[in-house]
Amino acid sequence: MTRPLLVGAVAYTPNVVPIWEGMRDYFADGPAEMDFVLFSNYGRQVEALLDGAIDIAWNTNLAWVRTVQRTGGACRALAMRDTDTVFRTVFVARAGSALGGLEKLRGKRLALGSKDSAQAAILPVYYLRRAGLGEDDVELVRINSDVGKHGDTGRSELDALRAVLEDRADAAAIGGNTWDAIGAGELMPGGFEAVWTSPPYSHCNFTALPALSDERARPWVEQLLAMDWDNPGHRRILELEGLRRWVPPQLDGYASLFEAVREQGIPARW
Amino acid sequence: MVRILLDLVERVGAVAAGASVTVPLGDADPGIVADWCARTGNELLGVSGGVATVRRGRRPEPPEHLLPGTRVWLYTNFDCNLACDYCCVRSSPRTPRRALGADRVARLAREAAGAGAGELLLTGGEPFLLPDIADLAASCTAVLPTTLLTNAMLLRGRRLEALRRMDRDRLALQVSLDSATPDQHDRHRGAGSWQRAVTGIRTALAEGFRVRVAATLPAGHDGALAPFHAFLDELGIAREDQLVRTLARRGVAEAGVELTVDSLIPEITVTADGVYWHPVAADHDDQLVTTELFPLADAIARVRQRFAEYRARADEAAQWFPCA
Ligand code: SF4
Repeated sequence: MTRPLLVGAVAYTPNVVPIWEGMRDYFADGPAEMDFVLFSNYGRQVEALLDGAIDIAWNTNLAWVRTVQRTGGACRALAMRDTDTVFRTVFVARAGSALGGLEKLRGKRLALGSKDSAQAAILPVYYLRRAGLGEDDVELVRINSDVGKHGDTGRSELDALRAVLEDRADAAAIGGNTWDAIGAGELMPGGFEAVWTSPPYSHCNFTALPALSDERARPWVEQLLAMDWDNPGHRRILELEGLRRWVPPQLDGYASLFEAVREQGIPARW
Repeated sequence: MVRILLDLVERVGAVAAGASVTVPLGDADPGIVADWCARTGNELLGVSGGVATVRRGRRPEPPEHLLPGTRVWLYTNFDCNLACDYCCVRSSPRTPRRALGADRVARLAREAAGAGAGELLLTGGEPFLLPDIADLAASCTAVLPTTLLTNAMLLRGRRLEALRRMDRDRLALQVSLDSATPDQHDRHRGAGSWQRAVTGIRTALAEGFRVRVAATLPAGHDGALAPFHAFLDELGIAREDQLVRTLARRGVAEAGVELTVDSLIPEITVTADGVYWHPVAADHDDQLVTTELFPLADAIARVRQRFAEYRARADEAAQWFPCA
C-alpha cells in the first residue's frame, strides 16, 4: 500500500482541526488517502514542503509566490476554493467620510494589517501605487498583530478597523472576507462604508512540487473536486473552510501579487 | 457602537465550531448581535447583564433516528412481579394494573406507523403478566418491528406458550440483567431474580428470539463492564445487543442522573394515563404531554414542536438517555 499523501496546513484557528480531520476521513475510503500536519506559520510550512516533509501545502497567495520564487517556478498549484478565485481587498472608512476612491486618500492615514498579509498590506500598497500614490502621499499605519499567518486570523484587519474608530487612521485596507464578516456595512448603517474595492485576485491554493507525481496527485485532486455542497457530511467541512466547491487553480489571479512583491522588495524567505 | 461587530468577529472567530463566547455589548443594541448572528450563521444564545453569549455555528440537527416519533413506547400495564428498588415507574406486585388493552394497543400501533414511526417498544411493569400479551404483540408486529421489554422470569407454562406465538422475525426481547453474577442484580431486584432471568434469556434464545440485554448501573460504573460483556458473549448475546444504561433519578430510585424535559431528547411514550415525553418519566406529571391518546399524530406533533423550542433555547446540548 502506498503511504497516504501528507497535506500541510497552518493552524490559525481551532477549526483547522475539525476541517482537516474531516478531509482525512473523506479521503480515507478512496484511492488517494491523506493525512495532515499543522504548522504554526506559513514560513515553516513552505520549508517543510521544500524539504519533502509534506507532499502538498495549503498555501496562502504569498506562500504560493514565495514557493514559486524558491523553486524557480517548478512548483504547481493543484486546486483552490471557489472563493479563492474572486478574493478582493476593500478600503473601509467611517460612514460619511466622503473618501470615495483611492485618489481621495492623498494626505490621509491608511491602516494596514500584518505586513505579510497580501490582502491587508502588500496588495493595498500596490493598488495605491497604481493610483499614483507613493509613500509620501499616504501615511501608512501598520498593525502587525498576526504576522506569520498571512492575515488568515483576520485579527490585524479588525485592529486596523479599530484604528479607524479611534481616529488613529482615516481608512483601513481589509480582506473582502473580513468586510463580509462585519456585515459589509449593512448591519449598522452609519458605521463603516467601503470607499474602494479592488479587482478580484487569487488567494489560497494547494501547492505541490515536482516530486509529487501526477499519478499520485491526480486521484487526490479528482476526489477533492468531487466534494459536494449538497452532501451534509461534505458541507460541514466546506462551510468551515469557507467555500462551496473546490475548483482548478486560476494562476492569472496571482499576477498582481507577483508584481507587488517585486516592487516592494519583499524577500523570498522569512 | 460598531465596535461590537469587530469584537464579535474576533471572539467568535477565535473559537472552535460549537463553542460559545461572551461579548460585552457596551453601548450596542442587542438587536445588532442578533442580526449579525443571523447573517453569519452563528447562534445568539442570550443576552444578560450587558453581555451577549454567542455559539460559533448552529447546533446540528439531531440525527434522523432520534427525531421524536421515530420510536414509540407503549406502557402495557405497570404492574410487575418484581419491585426493583430503582424502577423508574414505581412498578411492583402491589401497583394497580393500568392497562392500555388490546384495542387501544392495536390502534396506537396503526397510528404510530401512519405517523412515520419506525419501531414500537412494549414495556410493563412486566408485560407477560397480561393474559393477552401475545395478541398485543401481534397487533404491533403486524405493522412495525417491535421490542418487548421483560424481566424474563415468567417464561414458563402459558406464558411460554404466549411467547411461542409471537413473530420471531419482527419481535425482539429486551431483558434487564445488571451483572455477570447474582449479587448486584439481586441486591436491587430481589433474591433469586438473577438466576431466573438468566434461565429466561436462555429459554428465549432457544425459542429462536433475538434477545437484547440491558443493564441498569449506577453512574460511574466503568470497572464492572468487562466481566459482564464476557458473560453475555458466553450466553450468545450479540455485542450490539448488550446495552448499558445509567440509573435515572426517577420513580423510587433515590440517586441517579437528573433528567428533565429540556435535557432529554423525547421519545413518544403512551400509557393508559396519557402521552409522555420519555419512557423514563412515564409516571411523572412533569413530563405529561397530553391525556388525549388519540389521534396519536397530534401528540407527536406537539412533542416535536416543544422539542424544537427547547433546542432553540437550551444552552447545553440535549443528552440522550438510552432506554433501548
Ligand atoms: S424495573 Fe422492570 S422489572 Fe423491575 S419493577 Fe420496574 S418494571 Fe418491574
